[in-house]
Amino acid sequence: METRPRSRSSRRNREDRVPSGPLAGTDNGAGGRGPRRRLHPAGQAIVVGIGALLLGALLNARGLHKTAQSMNPSWKRDLGLALAKPLQTVSDDTGLDYPRRGLQALLGRSSDDDIVSQIVLPPPPPPPPVSPPVKKHHHKPPVHHRTTPPPPPVAPPPKKPAFSPHHPLRVYIGGDSLIIVPGESMLRAMGSKVYKPLDSVDGHVSTGLERPDVFNWFDRIRQVMKKDKPNVVIVAFGANDDHSYMTGLPKGVSIGDFGSPAWIKEYRRRVGGFMDTVIGNGGFVIYLGMPIVSSPSESHDFDLINKILYQEAKKRPKGALYVDTWFQFADPKTGGYAEYLPNKNGDLVKVRSNDGVHFEPAGGDIIARLVLKALNQRYDLTSWKKHTASG
Amino acid sequence: MIFPTTTFAVFFCIVLVASWLLMPRPRLWRLFIISASFVFYADWDWKFVFLLGFSIFFNQAVGLAIHRLRAQSQRKLVLTIGLIGNLGVLGYFKYYDFFVSSGHNLLQSVGLGFPLGTRQIVLPVGISFFTFMAISYIMDIYRRELEPVSLTKFGAYLSFFPHLVAGPIVRGSELLPQLEEPRDPRRVDTSRAFYLIGTGLFKKVVIANYLATHIVDQVFGAPVQHSSLEMWIGVYAYAVQIYADFSGYTDMAIGLALLLGFKFPQNFDSPYTAVSIQDFWRRWHMTLSRWLRDYVYIPFGGNRKGEPRTYLNLLATMLLGGLWHGAAWSFVIWGGMHGGWLAIGRFRRERGLASDAVTGWKLWRKRIVTFHLVCFAWIFFRAGSENGLSTAWDVIKRLFDNWGAASPAVTSGVVLWIVVGIATQYLPARIPQTIMARFSEARVAVQVVVLALVLMASHTMGPQGVAPFIYFRF
Repeated sequence: METRPRSRSSRRNREDRVPSGPLAGTDNGAGGRGPRRRLHPAGQAIVVGIGALLLGALLNARGLHKTAQSMNPSWKRDLGLALAKPLQTVSDDTGLDYPRRGLQALLGRSSDDDIVSQIVLPPPPPPPPVSPPVKKHHHKPPVHHRTTPPPPPVAPPPKKPAFSPHHPLRVYIGGDSLIIVPGESMLRAMGSKVYKPLDSVDGHVSTGLERPDVFNWFDRIRQVMKKDKPNVVIVAFGANDDHSYMTGLPKGVSIGDFGSPAWIKEYRRRVGGFMDTVIGNGGFVIYLGMPIVSSPSESHDFDLINKILYQEAKKRPKGALYVDTWFQFADPKTGGYAEYLPNKNGDLVKVRSNDGVHFEPAGGDIIARLVLKALNQRYDLTSWKKHTASG
Repeated sequence: MIFPTTTFAVFFCIVLVASWLLMPRPRLWRLFIISASFVFYADWDWKFVFLLGFSIFFNQAVGLAIHRLRAQSQRKLVLTIGLIGNLGVLGYFKYYDFFVSSGHNLLQSVGLGFPLGTRQIVLPVGISFFTFMAISYIMDIYRRELEPVSLTKFGAYLSFFPHLVAGPIVRGSELLPQLEEPRDPRRVDTSRAFYLIGTGLFKKVVIANYLATHIVDQVFGAPVQHSSLEMWIGVYAYAVQIYADFSGYTDMAIGLALLLGFKFPQNFDSPYTAVSIQDFWRRWHMTLSRWLRDYVYIPFGGNRKGEPRTYLNLLATMLLGGLWHGAAWSFVIWGGMHGGWLAIGRFRRERGLASDAVTGWKLWRKRIVTFHLVCFAWIFFRAGSENGLSTAWDVIKRLFDNWGAASPAVTSGVVLWIVVGIATQYLPARIPQTIMARFSEARVAVQVVVLALVLMASHTMGPQGVAPFIYFRF
């Protein structure tokens, strides 16, 4: 048998291999016996690692640009955008974006990297018609003599729109992360008879009305109203809107700092426009106010946003309702933030999550009860039971 | 700072280069890696850096004191102080409000008041993990299985960022010897490191996040709105989600440590191929299982104090294991279920009624039964905090009482990732070994391209934004 002298490199390679067997065991089924693998110098690990990140950044340049764009204004966002823009240019020019585009097309997610910051709002509702001035009659109205004065006319209570299992109330629930747990509580409480929730809770973390480039709720609600035609839209926005920055501003408009008159005017326009989109498409909007949170400064910001929500809902009494949650989650004794609250039995239950902002399911249940109460006041959701029982 | 983010990628590139440059100067390297780990930890909340610092100084002092004392009673006293210190801090941050509210409600039911009120305590991320590592350090010194090391070595061991926030729980005897001398820069297991980072990233960003957003959150959020089929698929999906999430994280942690020249212990070994609950715990969160065995079950007496006591010890250990996961009764029930099943399994094996050494259809029957027992317990685990028990009950009811209803949440994508998540655990070990071996033989440029494509695919296929890891809150 012919033997060949081993070269230095092959000897080195042999020595630099990881032995197989139990000591070479790796994770998740990757252990055990198998072909040996070469060990490499640390320099190669650095080159491969950094090289892969750079090439990966070029392949993902559009996604990185969108990620940077979606960040809140900060030096990190500026730096991210400064790096992502040239990366995207190189990626587009060299065709390195094709694999990502191809994969997105395959997954039916070709619009993932689009950044749509334009806001389309319905025109503001016309002002209420001005009735012509009533002419004063100088002559006395005829007097009919009656023995007893007629009873004052009692307006019959407006008939509530009725819903039943055959004609269920179509409900859409959406918003930022603060809607997710209460929304799930609502779905649990609604059961499956008279309510027809449209899919699950449409909650999108870190979104709001301030940044349509991150998630365009104005487009979203228009699509929902057109496609699903909900009777009721239950939403919560605002927790991510307390910044001195908005995208999708009309030309020539600047907003100044959070809470400035210009900021309030623009935010009011968006809240009102969102409500009008729902109302204009035949829906009723229930806008959840934000709860008190553990951070006093954030609570202060939320309070300001709540005022706008309340006032805009009040302007549209037939189409919108503001549901306050602030006081529901305030400590009964101090009025401050409370993580635990007593339930109807007096037992302490955890209603807020550890982050001091979001809700625990027990907190979600409190909001669900408020919302269902409001729905029952507005709609007839129970008379079908009598008909069923009598029939 | 979580692993699958651009911020972490930049941070790690800097640390990787600096770490290997400083490696020949161990003391300087240790100071650097402690600083880097503190920066990593401070990204969550800078205030908690003081807690980590306290843990390092406190446990080092306790370890040195135990080592220097001769009298056993004194050693035991210092160990007790160390354990009270560690568990006290953990208990305060993690369980204070839970016990106060439970105590309040208990006394309320008999018409008495409770003297303490709840506080809004923010749980420091990873506190359970580094506290357990610190306890293992002082207990190993007490047992004379380990000698104390210098403050900087212990600081580097406890704060080392790859394992800091969600494990694996690395014991002193595994990592401290590696800190004794510089790692060899000529022999880095890069192919295994990149394989683990790539697969871990894919598991977390694509599989776990997809299943969470497409079915799990929906069905567990509002069970009454879903069909029985959706509920069954949702429970299976959660089993795959939590595996992909947690094992994906630890795969990345192990891979990152390997690139820095350090070996961490294995944390998962195809857990859904287990043939019994005992076998499951040999494969699931292995570093926690052995920690519970060595520092809870054995000190309780293990199997040395008779059969009934052994069962009791198993149950107690798993109840504590459940409570470790979270301050909620549903976690305690989850632990109790596993403890009970472990005790039953042991009882049956002792009498020759059961064995893990089976083949053929019996093997598959045992695998299927074990998988379903684990899934059943996951219902309580996922149901979580305050309303956990009622949510779990709603889920269990809905598994059976709404067949035939529409099941829009059961999509081909959901079924695909569940099948992938389970089937890959049955892959022969040779396949990943071959992939790693091939990768290690490939040219640098090929390695770069392959890794870049994995990064691109994970980023493109995953939902936008990265959800936090499930185990961060434990």
